[in-house]
Amino acid sequence: MNSQRRNVFSKIMEIKESGILIPTVIFILIISLVNPVFISVGNIFNVLRSTGFTLITALGMSLVLIAGGLDLSVGSVLALGGCVTGVAMTTYNLPISISILLGCIAGLIIGLLNGIVIIKYKIPPLIMTLGMMNMARGIVYILTKGVPIYPLAEKFQAIEQEDLWGIPKVVIIAGILAIIAHVFLTHSTIGRSIYAVGGNRNAAQLSGISINKINLICYSITGILAALTGVIMSSRLGSAQPSAGVGYELTVISAVIIGGTSTNGGSGTIAGTVIGALFINILSNAMTIMKVSVYWQDFVIGFILIAAVVIDQLKKDRMLLIGMNKKD
Amino acid sequence: MNEIILQMEHIYKRFPGVLALNDVSIELGKGEILSIVGENGAGKSTLMKILAGSYAHGSYEGKIVLNNKIFTAKNSRAAENAGIAMIYQELNVELDMSIGENILMGDWPRKYTGFVDWKKTHKKAIDVLQTLNVSIDTHMNMRNLNASMQQLVCIARALVRNPKILILDEPTAALTESEAKNLMSVLRNLKTQGISCIYISHKLDEVFDISDRVITMRDACIVSTYAKSEIVPDKIIEDMVGRRVDQTVKKNIFYSDNEALRIEHFRVRHPYASHKNIIEDVSFHVKKGEVLGLTGLVGSGRSELLKAIFGAFPKADGQVFIDGKLCKISSPEDAIEKGICMLSEDRKFDGFVGSMNIRENMTLSSLKKISSKSIINSKLEIKLALKYFDYLKVRSRSTENNITTLSGGNQQKVILAKALLTEAKILFLDEPTRGIDVGAKSEIYKIISELTEKGMSIIVVSSELPELISLCDRFIVLCNGKISAEYTAENISQNAIIHAAAFGQKEILESQIKRGCL
Repeated sequence: MNSQRRNVFSKIMEIKESGILIPTVIFILIISLVNPVFISVGNIFNVLRSTGFTLITALGMSLVLIAGGLDLSVGSVLALGGCVTGVAMTTYNLPISISILLGCIAGLIIGLLNGIVIIKYKIPPLIMTLGMMNMARGIVYILTKGVPIYPLAEKFQAIEQEDLWGIPKVVIIAGILAIIAHVFLTHSTIGRSIYAVGGNRNAAQLSGISINKINLICYSITGILAALTGVIMSSRLGSAQPSAGVGYELTVISAVIIGGTSTNGGSGTIAGTVIGALFINILSNAMTIMKVSVYWQDFVIGFILIAAVVIDQLKKDRMLLIGMNKKD
Repeated sequence: MNEIILQMEHIYKRFPGVLALNDVSIELGKGEILSIVGENGAGKSTLMKILAGSYAHGSYEGKIVLNNKIFTAKNSRAAENAGIAMIYQELNVELDMSIGENILMGDWPRKYTGFVDWKKTHKKAIDVLQTLNVSIDTHMNMRNLNASMQQLVCIARALVRNPKILILDEPTAALTESEAKNLMSVLRNLKTQGISCIYISHKLDEVFDISDRVITMRDACIVSTYAKSEIVPDKIIEDMVGRRVDQTVKKNIFYSDNEALRIEHFRVRHPYASHKNIIEDVSFHVKKGEVLGLTGLVGSGRSELLKAIFGAFPKADGQVFIDGKLCKISSPEDAIEKGICMLSEDRKFDGFVGSMNIRENMTLSSLKKISSKSIINSKLEIKLALKYFDYLKVRSRSTENNITTLSGGNQQKVILAKALLTEAKILFLDEPTRGIDVGAKSEIYKIISELTEKGMSIIVVSSELPELISLCDRFIVLCNGKISAEYTAENISQNAIIHAAAFGQKEILESQIKRGCL
């Protein structure tokens, strides 16, 4: 009987994402006991909805981080997506579907710019996307003249505000995209190349993989997804805010890293990112329910991020020691 | 002789599985220029690293006495303070700082307020440069200097700390001929000031020119010592190469007359000395089923040439013909598509992806082959991986194990599998058996033989001459960016290769052949 229990336990430990899954589960249990409001239907949907908003962009960010890069511009691109769509609908009276398309194309353009400059001029992604973060935000303010676009067309607002089969649309969209991202990463040639580029750039190049192509794809996808998130968010809020998404990039990056993706590149899973996004949003939600001061919330999120990376590093060090013994 | 200022006695240095220095003892006199020669892996760098403080006292066995004091440096700073300065092959200067700042790096004189005294800094710099017969504006940026001047700044930087011993590691690798001559006169000047030099180089003509004494090393041991008057080049080369009884594979001849690969007039820029070309003008061809050996000294550009042909390194000029047709290769992707595949020199750096397992590493160059419409066919992938896993006899429990759990030899097999999976017709092997145990080595030799039987053309770069001689049908020696000699399996010998590599002159070679030395 004991050996059976041990087998199940070790199997659970072997799952790559157990490092974050178990704390998440434990956390949910504790919060539910402390304040049952947490597991009320309304609150669960709140958590799922905010997770959805984080997750959509986090999927793209996962690709970027696994490939060994970084994208700090997603917060500004979120605002850009929403505002371009808003301007297209209200100022130019374009049909809703065209407006949404334009919003996403704006994100695509930013992503392409990020990728091209990083590749061509060999600028560290941190610097390029940091600059782009400011530039894109600037473009948003120029476009909107600093004024929120309000109200947005009723039909447009209905998109996110009406749930599908009782589930918020953003959750459904995030779920579908997550499944697509998972299949893409694990089963496509580009997905395999992303892991190779992040794992050992030089070896990937010598093996015939085009580093430029892979980087371009990762940053472009992230740009589109961030813009899409902005579009959905402005549908939910009923207005396109130029100040939307400030600080969003930190939430997204934290979600991906807490989900187990290494900052060095070469490893990480979509499942981990999903759990990471859940964890961060559950954390925020729990702190709000427990009436923790807003000032403390920032502190806690930052602390958890650092703790996650430290634990991951300790795990790697232990594995290295064991790995060394294995070879002998 | 002059007074002895350095004694290294009975030095042993071990690494896991390897004895890098085996009972090595040397002496150095004041104002003496001592050269140490030997093939790659003989132990020269290890010995110098101990002296320079890179290997701390305690990580080696034996006694070192410097100026009558026991040498116990735990790091390079300590070694510097004890009077030892090392000039590395790759110039390490701060390009965006001035000459003066670089020369006094880390030891800028301070005013009583604690701020740097720049006036004093530049004065000290000017003074030390004067001892090297250089007068230059020390406020100038390092970027404006050429490699030779930058190296002089490195030497000045070392001299400013009043070293007793200057160690120079391959100092002329990044210099032109005239710059090298200038360095020689600088070193002779230092001699008169009582500073001793240890000179490590593969360029034997320089070594014989500048040294008071030459020590030869082979296989972690000191083989012989020659005073300047006793130098006989042939003897020294023989001591370096030695007589090795290796398990070599009997080589059969499989090549046809058809050309598989031809390259013409290749020119490649030096990777870190931007005013120089590491390859000046190289043309050669490889026939179908032939094994071509490419050799030369460290720094002769063998790896850079192969990488340039492969599209992984930019080339200044040159054309590639495959099966007689001119091909444009501007990236490894192009090369692999045209049927060329490459195993690089440093597998950890750009050979395998450490975060992936054996199967994923094997299929990395053939992703198009194992997929349809960009989705990987797992069954096909596993089948192909297993096929090469068995064929190359990779020692691991399964293809799903991470590649870093394998030994060096087996890692090399996986990278070889990656190349074979692309169904390449032309293979570049750069030091294929470096860091591999004897058992795996012979397995790889056998595989190379089998591949040529099937009509594959192979270019092998190797510093291990017996290995090269046993593997190849033809040999090319690179020196000073050009082909200095070419041999076939019939007229080859190790001494011939080392001569051509070191001296780069066909004439010396021919005279040796005439005198019956080869």
